[in-house]
Amino acid sequence: MTRLPGTAKTPGGLYAAPSLVWLSVFFLAPLAIIVAYSFLTPGALGGVEWSPTLDAYRAIANPTFGKVTVNTIIVAMGATAITMLIAIPCGYYMARSEHQNILLMLVMIPFWTNFLIRIYAWIAILGNEGFLNDLLLSLGLVDQSVRFLYNRGAVMLVLVYTYLPYAILPLYSTIDKFDFSLLEAARDLGASKMSAINRVLLPNIRGGVLTAFLFTFIPIFGAYAVPLLVGGTESYMLGNLIADELTKSRDWPLASAISMVITLVTTLGVLLLLRANGTSVLGGDDHEAAEPAGEADALGAAR
Amino acid sequence: MKKLVLLLVAVAMILPLTLSSCGGGGEKLYLFNWIYYIPDDVLEDFTKETGIEVVVDSYASNEEMYNKVVAGGAGYDIVVPSGDYVSIMIAGSLLEPIDKSRLKNFGNIDPAAIARIGFDVGNTHSVPYMMGAAGVSINTTKVSGYEHSWSIFDRPDLQGRMTMLDDMREVLGAALKSLGYSVNDADPAHLEEARLVVERWKPNLVKFDAEAFAKSFAAGEFWVVQGYAENVFLEYPEDRRAEVDFFFPKEGMPMYMDSLCILKGAKNVDQAYEFIDYILRPDVAARIADYLMLPSPNVPARALMQVQPNYEFTDLANGEFKEDLGQETLKLYNDAWRRIRVGN
Repeated sequence: MTRLPGTAKTPGGLYAAPSLVWLSVFFLAPLAIIVAYSFLTPGALGGVEWSPTLDAYRAIANPTFGKVTVNTIIVAMGATAITMLIAIPCGYYMARSEHQNILLMLVMIPFWTNFLIRIYAWIAILGNEGFLNDLLLSLGLVDQSVRFLYNRGAVMLVLVYTYLPYAILPLYSTIDKFDFSLLEAARDLGASKMSAINRVLLPNIRGGVLTAFLFTFIPIFGAYAVPLLVGGTESYMLGNLIADELTKSRDWPLASAISMVITLVTTLGVLLLLRANGTSVLGGDDHEAAEPAGEADALGAAR
Repeated sequence: MKKLVLLLVAVAMILPLTLSSCGGGGEKLYLFNWIYYIPDDVLEDFTKETGIEVVVDSYASNEEMYNKVVAGGAGYDIVVPSGDYVSIMIAGSLLEPIDKSRLKNFGNIDPAAIARIGFDVGNTHSVPYMMGAAGVSINTTKVSGYEHSWSIFDRPDLQGRMTMLDDMREVLGAALKSLGYSVNDADPAHLEEARLVVERWKPNLVKFDAEAFAKSFAAGEFWVVQGYAENVFLEYPEDRRAEVDFFFPKEGMPMYMDSLCILKGAKNVDQAYEFIDYILRPDVAARIADYLMLPSPNVPARALMQVQPNYEFTDLANGEFKEDLGQETLKLYNDAWRRIRVGN
């Protein structure tokens, strides 16, 4: 492991070339265009004119954008937190289960159906005339249909549903590698169930938790379709704002500037997490980094 | 490696086929049209009659079409922009002037419709294709005792059962009309009044929706929706259509017209004229109107229609075409709309 990939006689550089070209052409180039556009003047009919200005960033300072950003952060943080609370026990159960393959498949099954169709299914379930209301009405629990949809709660519910598999999978793969005898050791050494989990399990699966967090928070922060379809008059998120600026208001620089904000917020978040947690976030070999700490904690718990 | 070779061989075999199919033989016409906006059999019959093959590509919004044309045209001959985009494209010299002497059927277009066009006065660059407007649909099994007016959105008892389009021009246009102003009003004071009207409606609305409202309206989820008749009736069960009251509010409403335009630099101008003249023929115009279930702007076509359209041409009497607002006014509209959507 002392030799760096791609140096000397290894053909690593060659192997990496396709993905490097792919990323630079289809990821960096569009990003560069977005950065450039955000500093230009909007063209009269969409597009941009080549005179540099900071107008787009000045427009972002408008309280309107602050309000949408706050709403987006609330929804994204809330939905991610709920997702994690569900995903960690799920991943734990899957890793300990004897039917891992079946459970894994059950997590994957939603991917067989188109994402939009699944959102429409939620509308069919939760709608004013939906399945759930029909049930409640026929059971006599309510005498008027309840409005479940078209509010922030509905947006969060559907987002949690959509991104749950993305959180469960990395958590499962990390927990699966966890040596469960450490938990027994902690218990033997006097830790309660909760403290064994908090002080031994969680520190050891930190990499998976952070990966799961990023996999859910970043896409939710840029959500577009879910707030559009199950959101109400107040569930406007940054993703919707970008789409509207781009297509309806024909202000491409403003749309680019808002995209920049999203990109900056998420990149900053990732960098901070990486700094705080080393390489484990990216699903690297977190055993080396985390296990000694875990053991120390287990001992600490015992004391 | 063997697989790769096989793949390459397969590609090498298919490539000439696809190339020959788009480069070979007879005359061609490249049409860039709204999706589902012309029946396939009309295009097939045109090819049968004239030998001109029509290659169709479709778009879902004016912006999409416009951006593609500006980005390099992609070799289209005819596009079908809405009124505001006709004037935008004329201003950007993207359109070829229309020589009406080459269209012997141009006279079929209703002069009453032409008289109201502001986006291309005298139709120097555009030929009307279809026109219509968004209206209000009401589920009469749930709602009664209402007027055919925008004031329906003021009713708090229908709170949570009503939607308006997620469309700045349509919603602000409705509010402007309810105040007696033009849908293209550029006066900031009038626009502010209109914004306050929409803010008054907003607590009664479930959402602003242009994508899914028709499905939910058909499911009985929403009872009052602003939207295009064709969207609403496409989703509504055929046997229960009588339950739906589709109307245009008496105060008037924003209206659209989509027009056939020849792009500047089109390679197949003769074929384009032949095609436009074909579309203007009464029997063809009637088939298109039947397909879309819309009233035809083509006067002799109306007698030939076999399907009852969703509304009549005369119903559009109170409508006003949406014109391009210009950059300054557009900004005012954008700001008002953003405040409405975001909640100040």
